[in-house]
Amino acid sequence: MMLVSAGRRLLWQEWDDHFLVFQASSAETHVFNETTALILRCLEEGPRSVAEVKAWTEVALDAAPGELGADEFDFATRRLEELGLIEYLDETVATQ
Amino acid sequence: MIIGDLSRQEFQELLAGKGLGIQFGPFNLRIRSNLKSFAALAYQLYEPYPLLTAAVISDFHVDMNSPPGLRRWLRPQACFAIDGHSPFAPYTVEHAFPALEWGINWCVATRAHHLLMLHSAVVERNGQAMLFPAWPGHGKSTLCTALVHSGWRLLSDEFGLVRPEDGMLLPLPRLISLKNDSIDVIRHFRPEAIIGPSFQETRKGTVAHVRPPVDSIKRAQEPARPRCFVFPRWIAGAPFTLEAMPKSQAFLMVATNAFNYEVLDEIAFRLVIDMVNSCDCYSLRYSNLDEAMAALDELSRSFDA
Repeated sequence: MMLVSAGRRLLWQEWDDHFLVFQASSAETHVFNETTALILRCLEEGPRSVAEVKAWTEVALDAAPGELGADEFDFATRRLEELGLIEYLDETVATQ
Repeated sequence: MIIGDLSRQEFQELLAGKGLGIQFGPFNLRIRSNLKSFAALAYQLYEPYPLLTAAVISDFHVDMNSPPGLRRWLRPQACFAIDGHSPFAPYTVEHAFPALEWGINWCVATRAHHLLMLHSAVVERNGQAMLFPAWPGHGKSTLCTALVHSGWRLLSDEFGLVRPEDGMLLPLPRLISLKNDSIDVIRHFRPEAIIGPSFQETRKGTVAHVRPPVDSIKRAQEPARPRCFVFPRWIAGAPFTLEAMPKSQAFLMVATNAFNYEVLDEIAFRLVIDMVNSCDCYSLRYSNLDEAMAALDELSRSFDA
Protein backbone atom coordinates (compact mmCIF):
# COMPACT_ATOMS: atom_id res chain seq x y z
CA MET A 1 0.00 0.00 0.00
CA MET A 2 1.33 3.43 -0.97
CA LEU A 3 0.57 6.89 0.36
CA VAL A 4 0.43 9.90 -1.94
CA SER A 5 -0.19 13.57 -1.39
CA ALA A 6 -3.60 14.70 -2.65
CA GLY A 7 -3.65 18.25 -1.34
CA ARG A 8 -2.04 19.77 -4.42
CA ARG A 9 -0.92 23.25 -3.41
CA LEU A 10 -0.43 23.77 0.32
CA LEU A 11 0.68 26.86 2.24
CA TRP A 12 2.51 26.29 5.49
CA GLN A 13 3.08 28.24 8.68
CA GLU A 14 4.92 26.78 11.64
CA TRP A 15 4.65 28.27 15.12
CA ASP A 16 6.30 26.34 17.94
CA ASP A 17 4.78 22.84 17.87
CA HIS A 18 1.80 23.83 15.76
CA PHE A 19 1.60 23.66 11.99
CA LEU A 20 -1.00 25.59 10.05
CA VAL A 21 -1.70 24.36 6.56
CA PHE A 22 -3.87 26.11 4.01
CA GLN A 23 -5.28 23.67 1.47
CA ALA A 24 -5.91 25.64 -1.72
CA SER A 25 -8.09 22.93 -3.31
CA SER A 26 -10.68 23.15 -0.51
CA ALA A 27 -9.88 26.63 0.86
CA GLU A 28 -9.62 25.05 4.32
CA THR A 29 -7.11 25.86 7.02
CA HIS A 30 -5.88 22.97 9.16
CA VAL A 31 -3.90 22.87 12.37
CA PHE A 32 -1.67 19.84 12.89
CA ASN A 33 0.73 18.54 15.48
CA GLU A 34 4.30 17.79 14.49
CA THR A 35 3.76 14.10 13.64
CA THR A 36 0.85 14.77 11.30
CA ALA A 37 2.62 17.70 9.69
CA LEU A 38 5.75 15.63 9.06
CA ILE A 39 3.78 12.85 7.38
CA LEU A 40 2.27 15.42 5.06
CA ARG A 41 5.67 17.02 4.41
CA CYS A 42 7.10 13.61 3.57
CA LEU A 43 4.40 12.92 1.00
CA GLU A 44 4.79 16.33 -0.61
CA GLU A 45 8.12 14.99 -1.86
CA GLY A 46 6.41 12.10 -3.68
CA PRO A 47 4.59 8.77 -3.17
CA ARG A 48 6.02 6.49 -0.51
CA SER A 49 5.07 3.16 0.98
CA VAL A 50 3.41 3.26 4.38
CA ALA A 51 6.53 1.79 5.96
CA GLU A 52 8.75 4.40 4.27
CA VAL A 53 6.59 7.25 5.49
CA LYS A 54 6.65 5.93 9.04
CA ALA A 55 10.42 5.48 8.96
CA TRP A 56 10.94 8.96 7.44
CA THR A 57 8.71 10.51 10.09
CA GLU A 58 10.56 8.78 12.92
CA VAL A 59 13.87 10.13 11.62
CA ALA A 60 12.40 13.62 11.31
CA LEU A 61 11.05 13.38 14.86
CA ASP A 62 14.48 12.26 16.06
CA ALA A 63 12.83 9.08 17.36
CA ALA A 64 14.24 5.57 17.35
CA PRO A 65 12.94 3.11 14.70
CA GLY A 66 9.60 1.78 15.88
CA GLU A 67 9.26 4.45 18.55
CA LEU A 68 6.38 6.16 16.75
CA GLY A 69 3.37 4.13 17.81
CA ALA A 70 1.41 2.38 15.08
CA ASP A 71 -1.83 3.75 16.54
CA GLU A 72 -0.60 7.32 16.48
CA PHE A 73 0.73 6.96 12.95
CA ASP A 74 -2.45 5.31 11.71
CA PHE A 75 -4.64 7.96 13.38
CA ALA A 76 -2.64 10.75 11.72
CA THR A 77 -2.72 9.23 8.24
CA ARG A 78 -6.45 8.44 8.46
CA ARG A 79 -7.11 12.03 9.54
CA LEU A 80 -5.10 13.36 6.60
CA GLU A 81 -7.03 11.06 4.28
CA GLU A 82 -10.37 12.27 5.65
CA LEU A 83 -9.33 15.84 4.95
CA GLY A 84 -8.47 14.97 1.37
CA LEU A 85 -4.80 15.73 1.88
CA ILE A 86 -3.44 12.24 1.20
CA GLU A 87 -4.65 9.06 -0.45
CA TYR A 88 -4.00 5.36 0.01
CA LEU A 89 -3.24 3.69 -3.33
CA ASP A 90 -2.24 0.24 -4.51
CA GLU A 91 1.45 0.16 -5.32
CA THR A 92 0.80 -0.55 -9.00
CA VAL A 93 -1.49 2.48 -9.33
CA ALA A 94 0.85 4.77 -7.39
CA THR A 95 3.83 3.99 -9.57
CA GLN A 96 1.98 4.48 -12.89
CA MET B 1 -18.50 69.90 4.12
CA ILE B 2 -19.70 68.02 7.15
CA ILE B 3 -23.21 67.07 8.22
CA GLY B 4 -23.11 69.86 10.82
CA ASP B 5 -22.88 72.46 8.04
CA LEU B 6 -26.48 71.65 7.20
CA SER B 7 -29.33 73.20 9.15
CA ARG B 8 -31.58 70.75 10.93
CA GLN B 9 -34.26 71.54 8.34
CA GLU B 10 -31.93 70.86 5.41
CA PHE B 11 -30.79 67.62 7.04
CA GLN B 12 -34.35 66.43 7.47
CA GLU B 13 -35.29 67.38 3.91
CA LEU B 14 -32.38 65.41 2.49
CA LEU B 15 -33.26 62.37 4.60
CA ALA B 16 -36.89 62.51 3.51
CA GLY B 17 -36.08 63.35 -0.09
CA LYS B 18 -33.22 62.33 -2.36
CA GLY B 19 -31.15 60.97 0.52
CA LEU B 20 -28.40 62.09 2.86
CA GLY B 21 -24.93 61.30 1.55
CA ILE B 22 -22.51 60.50 4.37
CA GLN B 23 -19.00 59.10 4.38
CA PHE B 24 -17.94 56.48 6.90
CA GLY B 25 -14.25 55.76 6.32
CA PRO B 26 -13.91 53.90 3.00
CA PHE B 27 -17.68 53.69 2.44
CA ASN B 28 -20.13 56.18 0.97
CA LEU B 29 -23.71 55.82 2.09
CA ARG B 30 -26.97 57.40 1.05
CA ILE B 31 -29.59 57.25 3.77
CA ARG B 32 -33.27 58.00 3.39
CA SER B 33 -35.91 58.09 6.09
CA ASN B 34 -39.41 59.41 6.53
CA LEU B 35 -39.21 59.11 10.34
CA LYS B 36 -39.01 62.52 12.00
CA SER B 37 -38.21 61.11 15.45
CA PHE B 38 -35.18 59.42 14.04
CA ALA B 39 -33.81 62.51 12.28
CA ALA B 40 -33.14 64.53 15.43
CA LEU B 41 -30.79 61.95 16.92
CA ALA B 42 -29.09 61.23 13.60
CA TYR B 43 -28.41 64.96 13.20
CA GLN B 44 -26.78 65.13 16.62
CA LEU B 45 -24.64 62.00 16.37
CA TYR B 46 -23.64 62.25 12.70
CA GLU B 47 -22.78 65.96 12.94
CA PRO B 48 -18.95 65.74 12.40
CA TYR B 49 -19.06 63.19 9.53
CA PRO B 50 -18.27 64.21 5.94
CA LEU B 51 -21.30 65.13 3.87
CA LEU B 52 -21.36 63.80 0.31
CA THR B 53 -22.83 65.65 -2.62
CA ALA B 54 -25.51 64.06 -4.78
CA ALA B 55 -22.93 63.43 -7.52
CA VAL B 56 -20.82 61.04 -5.41
CA ILE B 57 -21.41 57.36 -6.12
CA SER B 58 -22.67 55.52 -3.05
CA ASP B 59 -21.61 52.06 -1.96
CA PHE B 60 -24.87 51.49 -0.11
CA HIS B 61 -28.34 53.01 -0.49
CA VAL B 62 -30.20 52.38 2.73
CA ASP B 63 -33.69 53.30 3.89
CA MET B 64 -35.27 53.40 7.31
CA ASN B 65 -38.94 54.01 6.74
CA SER B 66 -42.31 53.40 8.24
CA PRO B 67 -43.94 50.56 6.26
CA PRO B 68 -47.10 51.53 4.33
CA GLY B 69 -50.58 50.52 5.42
CA LEU B 70 -52.76 50.78 8.49
CA ARG B 71 -50.06 49.50 10.79
CA ARG B 72 -48.15 52.77 10.43
CA TRP B 73 -50.96 54.43 12.44
CA LEU B 74 -51.94 51.60 14.81
CA ARG B 75 -48.54 50.29 15.87
CA PRO B 76 -45.78 52.25 14.11
CA GLN B 77 -42.82 50.29 12.86
CA ALA B 78 -39.53 51.04 11.16
CA CYS B 79 -38.19 48.96 8.34
CA PHE B 80 -34.54 48.84 7.25
CA ALA B 81 -33.89 48.30 3.55
CA ILE B 82 -30.89 48.22 1.27
CA ASP B 83 -31.38 48.71 -2.44
CA GLY B 84 -35.11 48.31 -1.83
CA HIS B 85 -34.71 44.92 -0.13
CA SER B 86 -35.56 44.43 3.57
CA PRO B 87 -33.32 41.74 5.08
CA PHE B 88 -34.78 42.03 8.60
CA ALA B 89 -38.22 41.94 10.17
CA PRO B 90 -39.55 45.44 10.98
CA TYR B 91 -38.52 47.06 14.25
CA THR B 92 -40.67 49.02 16.62
CA VAL B 93 -40.36 52.64 15.52
CA GLU B 94 -38.66 53.64 18.79
CA HIS B 95 -35.71 51.41 17.81
CA ALA B 96 -35.26 52.88 14.34
CA PHE B 97 -31.88 54.45 15.10
CA PRO B 98 -30.13 51.35 16.51
CA ALA B 99 -31.72 49.36 13.70
CA LEU B 100 -30.15 51.68 11.14
CA GLU B 101 -26.75 51.35 12.81
CA TRP B 102 -27.01 47.54 12.84
CA GLY B 103 -28.22 47.60 9.26
CA ILE B 104 -25.22 49.62 8.09
CA ASN B 105 -22.88 47.19 9.86
CA TRP B 106 -24.69 44.34 8.15
CA CYS B 107 -24.16 46.01 4.76
CA VAL B 108 -20.43 46.27 5.40
CA ALA B 109 -20.10 42.74 6.80
CA THR B 110 -21.94 41.09 3.93
CA ARG B 111 -20.68 43.12 0.99
CA ALA B 112 -17.20 44.61 1.51
CA HIS B 113 -15.32 41.51 0.41
CA HIS B 114 -12.56 43.51 -1.26
CA LEU B 115 -11.22 43.84 2.33
CA LEU B 116 -10.51 41.25 5.00
CA MET B 117 -12.96 42.06 7.79
CA LEU B 118 -11.94 41.03 11.29
CA HIS B 119 -14.49 41.20 14.08
CA SER B 120 -12.39 43.51 16.17
CA ALA B 121 -12.13 46.93 17.70
CA VAL B 122 -9.06 48.84 16.51
CA VAL B 123 -7.37 51.84 18.11
CA GLU B 124 -4.14 53.61 17.22
CA ARG B 125 -1.46 55.70 18.84
CA ASN B 126 1.81 56.93 17.34
CA GLY B 127 1.03 55.18 14.07
CA GLN B 128 0.73 51.74 15.69
CA ALA B 129 -2.59 49.98 15.81
CA MET B 130 -3.83 47.74 18.58
CA LEU B 131 -6.58 45.27 17.71
CA PHE B 132 -9.12 43.81 20.14
CA PRO B 133 -10.76 40.79 18.51
CA ALA B 134 -13.49 39.47 20.77
CA TRP B 135 -16.83 37.76 20.96
CA PRO B 136 -19.85 39.86 21.99
CA GLY B 137 -19.95 40.52 25.72
CA HIS B 138 -16.20 40.30 26.23
CA GLY B 139 -15.75 44.02 26.93
CA LYS B 140 -14.30 45.05 23.56
CA SER B 141 -16.48 48.13 23.05
CA THR B 142 -16.16 49.34 26.64
CA LEU B 143 -12.38 49.16 26.49
CA CYS B 144 -12.28 50.72 23.04
CA THR B 145 -14.54 53.61 24.09
CA ALA B 146 -12.46 54.32 27.17
CA LEU B 147 -9.23 54.31 25.15
CA VAL B 148 -10.48 56.65 22.41
CA HIS B 149 -11.58 59.10 25.09
CA SER B 150 -8.08 58.93 26.59
CA GLY B 151 -5.81 59.91 23.72
CA TRP B 152 -6.06 56.96 21.38
CA ARG B 153 -7.53 57.25 17.88
CA LEU B 154 -10.52 55.14 16.94
CA LEU B 155 -10.26 53.15 13.75
CA SER B 156 -13.30 51.04 14.48
CA ASP B 157 -15.29 49.54 17.29
CA GLU B 158 -16.50 46.62 15.20
CA PHE B 159 -14.43 46.05 12.06
CA GLY B 160 -10.72 45.47 11.61
CA LEU B 161 -10.64 46.32 7.90
CA VAL B 162 -7.45 44.93 6.40
CA ARG B 163 -6.40 46.14 2.95
CA PRO B 164 -5.11 43.08 1.05
CA GLU B 165 -2.61 45.09 -1.01
CA ASP B 166 -0.44 46.09 1.94
CA GLY B 167 -2.00 44.73 5.15
CA MET B 168 -2.81 48.23 6.43
CA LEU B 169 -5.85 48.79 8.61
CA LEU B 170 -8.48 51.17 7.22
CA PRO B 171 -10.42 53.34 9.66
CA LEU B 172 -14.19 53.03 9.91
CA PRO B 173 -14.85 55.34 12.87
CA ARG B 174 -18.59 54.83 13.14
CA LEU B 175 -20.65 55.32 16.26
CA ILE B 176 -19.73 52.93 19.06
CA SER B 177 -22.62 50.81 20.21
CA LEU B 178 -22.56 50.19 23.95
CA LYS B 179 -24.79 47.63 25.58
CA ASN B 180 -26.34 47.19 29.00
CA ASP B 181 -23.99 47.86 31.96
CA SER B 182 -21.21 49.28 29.80
CA ILE B 183 -23.35 52.36 29.08
CA ASP B 184 -23.20 53.54 32.68
CA VAL B 185 -19.57 52.51 32.99
CA ILE B 186 -18.65 54.93 30.18
CA ARG B 187 -21.04 57.67 31.38
CA HIS B 188 -19.18 57.63 34.69
CA PHE B 189 -15.73 57.17 33.15
CA ARG B 190 -16.06 60.12 30.75
CA PRO B 191 -19.10 62.30 31.59
CA GLU B 192 -18.15 64.60 28.70
CA ALA B 193 -18.45 61.81 26.10
CA ILE B 194 -21.24 62.38 23.60
CA ILE B 195 -23.64 59.50 24.11
CA GLY B 196 -27.10 59.21 22.66
CA PRO B 197 -30.15 58.02 24.59
CA SER B 198 -30.41 54.49 25.94
CA PHE B 199 -32.76 52.33 23.88
CA GLN B 200 -34.40 49.82 26.19
CA GLU B 201 -35.40 46.27 25.30
CA THR B 202 -33.95 46.19 21.80
CA ARG B 203 -33.07 42.87 20.17
CA LYS B 204 -29.63 43.25 21.80
CA GLY B 205 -30.74 44.53 25.18
CA THR B 206 -30.27 48.17 26.20
CA VAL B 207 -28.18 50.02 23.64
CA ALA B 208 -26.66 53.52 23.44
CA HIS B 209 -24.39 55.07 20.83
CA VAL B 210 -21.19 56.96 21.49
CA ARG B 211 -19.96 59.52 18.99
CA PRO B 212 -16.22 59.03 18.42
CA PRO B 213 -13.92 61.99 19.12
CA VAL B 214 -13.85 64.42 16.20
CA ASP B 215 -10.14 63.83 15.56
CA SER B 216 -10.83 60.14 14.81
CA ILE B 217 -13.54 61.12 12.31
CA LYS B 218 -11.31 63.73 10.65
CA ARG B 219 -8.53 61.16 10.22
CA ALA B 220 -10.80 58.52 8.72
CA GLN B 221 -8.72 58.31 5.54
CA GLU B 222 -5.46 57.67 7.44
CA PRO B 223 -4.65 53.92 7.65
CA ALA B 224 -2.57 52.40 10.42
CA ARG B 225 -0.16 49.51 10.64
CA PRO B 226 -1.13 46.59 12.90
CA ARG B 227 1.25 46.27 15.85
CA CYS B 228 -0.49 44.27 18.54
CA PHE B 229 -3.41 41.91 19.15
CA VAL B 230 -5.04 42.00 22.55
CA PHE B 231 -7.84 39.49 23.14
CA PRO B 232 -9.90 41.07 25.92
CA ARG B 233 -12.28 39.42 28.30
CA TRP B 234 -14.15 41.33 30.96
CA ILE B 235 -15.07 39.12 33.93
CA ALA B 236 -16.73 40.62 37.00
CA GLY B 237 -14.35 40.54 39.95
CA ALA B 238 -11.60 38.77 38.03
CA PRO B 239 -7.99 39.65 38.84
CA PHE B 240 -6.15 41.51 36.11
CA THR B 241 -3.93 39.46 33.80
CA LEU B 242 -2.12 40.39 30.59
CA GLU B 243 -0.27 37.39 29.20
CA ALA B 244 1.53 36.63 25.97
CA MET B 245 -0.49 34.38 23.72
CA PRO B 246 1.00 31.72 21.43
CA LYS B 247 0.82 32.83 17.81
CA SER B 248 -0.95 29.66 16.67
CA GLN B 249 -3.73 30.37 19.16
CA ALA B 250 -3.89 34.02 18.12
CA PHE B 251 -4.17 32.98 14.48
CA LEU B 252 -7.12 30.71 15.20
CA MET B 253 -8.90 33.35 17.25
CA VAL B 254 -8.43 36.01 14.59
CA ALA B 255 -9.40 33.74 11.69
CA THR B 256 -12.47 32.30 13.38
CA ASN B 257 -13.56 35.79 14.42
CA ALA B 258 -13.33 37.22 10.91
CA PHE B 259 -16.46 38.04 8.94
CA ASN B 260 -15.14 36.82 5.59
CA TYR B 261 -12.11 34.58 6.17
CA GLU B 262 -13.72 31.77 4.13
CA VAL B 263 -14.72 34.15 1.34
CA LEU B 264 -11.19 35.40 0.76
CA ASP B 265 -9.58 31.96 1.33
CA GLU B 266 -5.87 32.13 0.42
CA ILE B 267 -5.72 35.93 0.61
CA ALA B 268 -7.18 35.78 4.12
CA PHE B 269 -4.78 33.04 5.22
CA ARG B 270 -1.77 35.05 4.04
CA LEU B 271 -3.04 38.30 5.56
CA VAL B 272 -3.78 36.79 8.97
CA ILE B 273 -0.43 34.95 8.99
CA ASP B 274 1.40 38.19 8.15
CA MET B 275 -0.49 40.14 10.80
CA VAL B 276 0.08 37.58 13.54
CA ASN B 277 3.76 37.29 12.60
CA SER B 278 4.27 41.05 12.77
CA CYS B 279 2.19 41.65 15.91
CA ASP B 280 2.68 40.90 19.59
CA CYS B 281 -0.26 38.88 20.87
CA TYR B 282 -1.75 39.03 24.36
CA SER B 283 -4.66 37.70 26.31
CA LEU B 284 -6.23 40.29 28.65
CA ARG B 285 -8.60 39.54 31.52
CA TYR B 286 -9.93 42.45 33.49
CA SER B 287 -12.67 43.67 35.72
CA ASN B 288 -11.30 47.15 36.46
CA LEU B 289 -11.26 49.48 33.47
CA ASP B 290 -8.60 51.85 34.87
CA GLU B 291 -6.25 48.95 35.52
CA ALA B 292 -6.67 47.63 31.98
CA MET B 293 -6.14 51.07 30.45
CA ALA B 294 -2.97 51.68 32.43
CA ALA B 295 -1.54 48.35 31.29
CA LEU B 296 -2.38 49.05 27.65
CA ASP B 297 -0.79 52.50 27.90
CA GLU B 298 2.37 50.90 29.24
CA LEU B 299 2.29 48.26 26.51
CA SER B 300 1.97 50.99 23.91
CA ARG B 301 4.95 52.87 25.35
CA SER B 302 7.02 49.69 25.12
CA PHE B 303 6.40 49.68 21.33
CA ASP B 304 7.90 53.17 21.10
CA ALA B 305 10.95 52.06 23.03
